[in-house]
Amino acid sequence: MTMMARMMRRVSSPAGTRRRNGPDRAEPSRARKADRDEVFLEYTKSICPVCKVLVDGQVNVRDDKVYLRKRCREHGTFEALLYGDAGMYMDSLRFNKPGTIPLTLQTETVEGCPLDCGLCPEHKQHACLGIIELNSACNLDCPICFADSGIHHPDHYSLTVAQVEEMLDVFVASEGEAEVVMFSGGEPTIHPRLLECIDRARAKPIRHVVLNTNGIRLARDKGFATALAERDVSIYLQFDGFKESTHLQIRGRDLRGLKQRALENCAEAGLTVTLVPAIERGLNDDELGAIVRFGIEHPAVRSVAFQPVTHSGRHVPFDPMNRITNSDVIHGLCRQLPEWLRPSDFFPVPCCFPTCRSITYLLLAGDDVIPVPRLLNMENYMDYVANRVLPEEQAIRAALERLWSSSAVAGTATVAEQLQCASCATGVPSSLADLADTAFMVLVQDFQDPYTLNVKQLMKCCVEEITPDGRLIPFCAYNSVGYREQVRERLTGIAVPDVIPNANTLAPLLADSAHGSKLAVEEPERKREPATASINLGRRLQ
Amino acid sequence: MSLQTAADVKSCCAAAYSSPAAAFLLDDSLHPGGAALTRRLADAVELRSGQRVLDVASGRGTTALLLAKEYAVAVDGVDLSDASVREATAAAQHAGRAASVAFHLADAEQLPFDDGTVDALVCECSWCLFPDKAQAAAEFARVLRAGGRVGIADVTVGPAGVPDGLAELPAWIACLAGARTTEEYVGLLTAAGLTATRVEDHRDALAELIGRIQARLKLARALSKSGAQQETHAMERGLVLAARAAQAVSQGALGYCLIVARRDR
Repeated sequence: MTMMARMMRRVSSPAGTRRRNGPDRAEPSRARKADRDEVFLEYTKSICPVCKVLVDGQVNVRDDKVYLRKRCREHGTFEALLYGDAGMYMDSLRFNKPGTIPLTLQTETVEGCPLDCGLCPEHKQHACLGIIELNSACNLDCPICFADSGIHHPDHYSLTVAQVEEMLDVFVASEGEAEVVMFSGGEPTIHPRLLECIDRARAKPIRHVVLNTNGIRLARDKGFATALAERDVSIYLQFDGFKESTHLQIRGRDLRGLKQRALENCAEAGLTVTLVPAIERGLNDDELGAIVRFGIEHPAVRSVAFQPVTHSGRHVPFDPMNRITNSDVIHGLCRQLPEWLRPSDFFPVPCCFPTCRSITYLLLAGDDVIPVPRLLNMENYMDYVANRVLPEEQAIRAALERLWSSSAVAGTATVAEQLQCASCATGVPSSLADLADTAFMVLVQDFQDPYTLNVKQLMKCCVEEITPDGRLIPFCAYNSVGYREQVRERLTGIAVPDVIPNANTLAPLLADSAHGSKLAVEEPERKREPATASINLGRRLQ
Repeated sequence: MSLQTAADVKSCCAAAYSSPAAAFLLDDSLHPGGAALTRRLADAVELRSGQRVLDVASGRGTTALLLAKEYAVAVDGVDLSDASVREATAAAQHAGRAASVAFHLADAEQLPFDDGTVDALVCECSWCLFPDKAQAAAEFARVLRAGGRVGIADVTVGPAGVPDGLAELPAWIACLAGARTTEEYVGLLTAAGLTATRVEDHRDALAELIGRIQARLKLARALSKSGAQQETHAMERGLVLAARAAQAVSQGALGYCLIVARRDR
């Protein structure tokens, strides 16, 4: 055989094979390849809502909604709605300001987010707002309470003034000049030394002090309201709506009369109030517009901060696939107040992750309500991806950043000053200045829970829990990952089992905890060792 | 309409759009959708760096400068208002783009450019103002080179025409009275020998703009509480009309469209 013949055979042989097998065996299949019903958007990390172990997560868009799906080797696959309007979610990503590095860090990066809180060197933002939970005791037993606080619990803690002082020092060391400290609980107004704690905060370089309260003491104790006003404290008042059913289902009591008296006393004392409604789908999501209208008309109220119910701690049963999200609140509110608001009046807050929080400001002039974003081209200043801001416009951007911030406290001189500065962007420099004192803020903030936790958002969180052991823990990590249980356990010396979301899909697994929240029927043993050689399982919080 | 002749309409619209009041009410985005829709239009006509682009009814030059800066194209703007041409020219000089951006006092129905010399043409929220739309479309087609595209963004009306409450609009809003249905716009372009390649509904952008105008009218009213009665009356009237326009948009009687058409030969 010649060389050429060998080559020919070698070359022709496979071709011949293809010819023989092709038409006979590879009959075109009748089966059709199906397209997926979703757009794969992000790969991230989350936790298993049952055992809290770190798992990989996928963010997908289906039917114009954004979902997070994840799988725990032990407990299966979980999915939850993150954002009800995918277009709005995508559009918000431009409004993402580069983070600021805090002056001090409290922990090292060892296990990776969210197991190193915090703040660790990998965290992308400083703390705009620090929260101190003074106690775990409360004078209410609400069916909905992310802090799992209550009247009849056996294991209360109450911080000492010395502890609070140390915590404030950690915050100030990290921030230099801190923006906002919020006293919360439990119910901070039943803490016997609250005013002393506020004085300690006032003595430090912290711009604003906010008190988060259910309003019971404000309603009953005018002297208390006066004492707070003297200390220039802003009030975050739990305020869920006007229907009796809203109060009974969220608070377990009809508090309508108390809330009105609390607001009257605030107005009389000169306190400025943010109404803070916890919104649950099908429960009080029909009261969004009425709450804003009421707030605008009430002399004490300067803002409304809507918070979809956080499905951490204690809450009523819910469907993770049909929870209420930021965009649902915005659309719902605009449907209920079409004469005042459009969804485009809300802009994402760029200091945290932009899908976490959205804000609008309204100027009030007589009967007119004028949304500030309609008066200037917000995109020009707040789009950090295209970044079209001219050097001479930097001051306007800076003013808008102070307004669209987690540290903005409505009704303060700071907000009025920044609105005056932003006036230049309207083309009529005096326009906002003359009305700045009346500005009313509407804020929507969807906190994450063990279902919705997305490490991508958590890494840029700018709302931190200050802990007595000197950490600054991102709020949603604190509530979802197990830090709240850990801190409470250390403070009381009594074990706190993992709290699990009261989700309909988990119903067979759930049992009541001592605090009224839910835990797993058979508490899974804590995995002290990291799962080995696995792409999808890491270590859980120790 | 109280303004009868085409010439009157043209000069009225040109003057009104160049007034400081319009600038305040509409900010620097004189058209629905603002810069974002301008970019969408620029992408839709497939602008490439180095091309020559014509901006018909260029106003204060915002769009022409955006295109020159972001797409690296040479832009000629034409406008009927002497004041706008002067302001736009000054803006181009201020931006250091006088070499690539020029503005001309000219009528869209008689464009001062030779046949087949333009790569792309944009006309935002202005075709509705031109009394002889067919003549303007013929001019668009004439100056475009073969393969060149015209991008239109404009106000549309529903099949029933301009809604009743809006037919009596004064001053600059009167320009809405010249709006056509999307199909009529496409028909006019087709009749001029162009082939429509894209038609998009942007009624939300118009609703947004009306919302902005309403907010600014309310602000103006609040700031001029002690102002002249005549001024306040004009603002009240404007708010009534803006509310009617908003309602018309929500009912589909008014809208906004983006159309791209190509000159094949």
